[in-house]
Amino acid sequence: MPSLKVSGLTFSYGPEPLIKDLSLELRPGDFMCVLGPNGSGKSTLLRLLTGFMKSSSGSVRLAGEEVSSIKPEKLARLAAYVASETATPYDFSVREMVLLGRTARAGFWHGYSAEDAAAAGLAIEETGIKALADRSINTLSTGERQLVFIAQALAQEARLLLLDEPTSHLDLKYKSGLMALLARLAGRGLAVAAVLHEPALAGLGCDKALLFSGGGEYSFGPAAQTLAPARLAAAYGVPENSPLLPK
Amino acid sequence: MGKNKALLLLAALAAACLFSLAAGPAGWSNTDVILNLRLPRTLAALAVGAGLGLAGALFQGVLKNPLSDPYILGTSSGATAAAVFCFLAGIERTSPVFFLAVFAGAFGATFLSYWLARLAGRLSDGALVLAGVAVSAFLSALVMLTLTSSRERSFSLFYFVMGGLYTVEPGVLMVSSLIIAAAGAAAMARWRALDAMSLGAENAYHLGISPERERILFFVFACASTSAAVAIGGTIGFVGLMVPHLVRRLTGPSARLLVPAAALGGAAMLTAADAAGRSLFPPSEVPAGVVMALAGAPFFMWLLWKNSRGKN
Repeated sequence: MPSLKVSGLTFSYGPEPLIKDLSLELRPGDFMCVLGPNGSGKSTLLRLLTGFMKSSSGSVRLAGEEVSSIKPEKLARLAAYVASETATPYDFSVREMVLLGRTARAGFWHGYSAEDAAAAGLAIEETGIKALADRSINTLSTGERQLVFIAQALAQEARLLLLDEPTSHLDLKYKSGLMALLARLAGRGLAVAAVLHEPALAGLGCDKALLFSGGGEYSFGPAAQTLAPARLAAAYGVPENSPLLPK
Repeated sequence: MGKNKALLLLAALAAACLFSLAAGPAGWSNTDVILNLRLPRTLAALAVGAGLGLAGALFQGVLKNPLSDPYILGTSSGATAAAVFCFLAGIERTSPVFFLAVFAGAFGATFLSYWLARLAGRLSDGALVLAGVAVSAFLSALVMLTLTSSRERSFSLFYFVMGGLYTVEPGVLMVSSLIIAAAGAAAMARWRALDAMSLGAENAYHLGISPERERILFFVFACASTSAAVAIGGTIGFVGLMVPHLVRRLTGPSARLLVPAAALGGAAMLTAADAAGRSLFPPSEVPAGVVMALAGAPFFMWLLWKNSRGKN
């Protein structure tokens, strides 16, 4: 059974559809990148996939159930989402932040169980932020903070992981480290979808790709074909020999 | 929160109570004054302070906005306006209708501020404060208009609007205390949702919390608690703003400890402020609301400065 099945999804902010009749399927172990020019609907798509935003027509099914009818508490156990930037004025420690990923699993009013602590510990280990665990998240660099929110999502123990531009503020070292982490998670059977800004990053482990080319047009398929230089050039409106495109 | 920090909070509370029981020209000498005048007044200050501190912590969490509190959002003004209209309409201060009306005023004003701020697009900290200021100013003007145009009982009502604890009605104190305790207990049971909300609605949703539902629930708890406090002592500002910031240094930002600590801290702060108001210029009294504004307004300015610096 696919983790995620989208069919005929259509969404618009105004008269023109941003996402038009989109269909795709994501299975356990898939690592999909979402690419396309600014404003082509990449971030909106992720929010539609988790039901945070509602589509005008079409269906998004998560583990066989229509996403709009899943209660948030159950949804958080099926899918985790990392926003492109999350900020809070309050000085939560990294560990507290990751433990918040257990919100949907920890029951309501009592404290965190040993199981919660173990899941958070594992997520901290996995993302390599153990040394930061007791720091306030507001003292971290943007790159470090991004890892904290990924750890929070991992602590949810969901089978589907969606990330909105997880690499946008990161330097090259963080970027490649992050892509390696996501590829590793997919290798372990998670379905991963990440909105990326640079097509070159897709080469670091993505096996599927969704490429928006504006006006609701898209192509979806194996990364190698979907992200062929000619298609990328057309989608982004740059010459095919542009040094910005991956060779 | 370590044991020492919890003790520190309780010690502050005890010290504020002692100060309040001793404050006044007669000092410790007159047992009658202590038991019949200062004790009820101390209890009233504790309840009002707890209610406002609690409401401040809830608003700051659920709105993810460190500048919010029941005074700034217009919650207190809404409650005060409703209370004044009830007094003029001759509704008993202990009747359920009075408490319902005051709650409705608080909730209506808060939601109006929130809705106005949302109209501006993305809910920013500054927009919420501006909307709150506009709503409070309008409601205060409405109250003043009503008070100046009606000649009846207006002197005691002026004092109520100014915010003070001159006269404590045992019935009101009892009902209000119960409301504040119930709101506090309900909010504490949902500490996890409040923590998630303090990361913003989008993050909260993806952690398994329904942001719309929690927003309404915490508005209800905070407005119930504020309106109960206003029913006792009128409009008293800045307790809800300052206390959560101060106790966060002891408890950290998680609502699990922050919410009860903010209630205790608010109780201590307002009790001390009321006692200070009685001791500053005897025999005349400075209303607790004025004492709090003297201390709170500079604090708010500092907070604004800190907040704007953090963003650049």
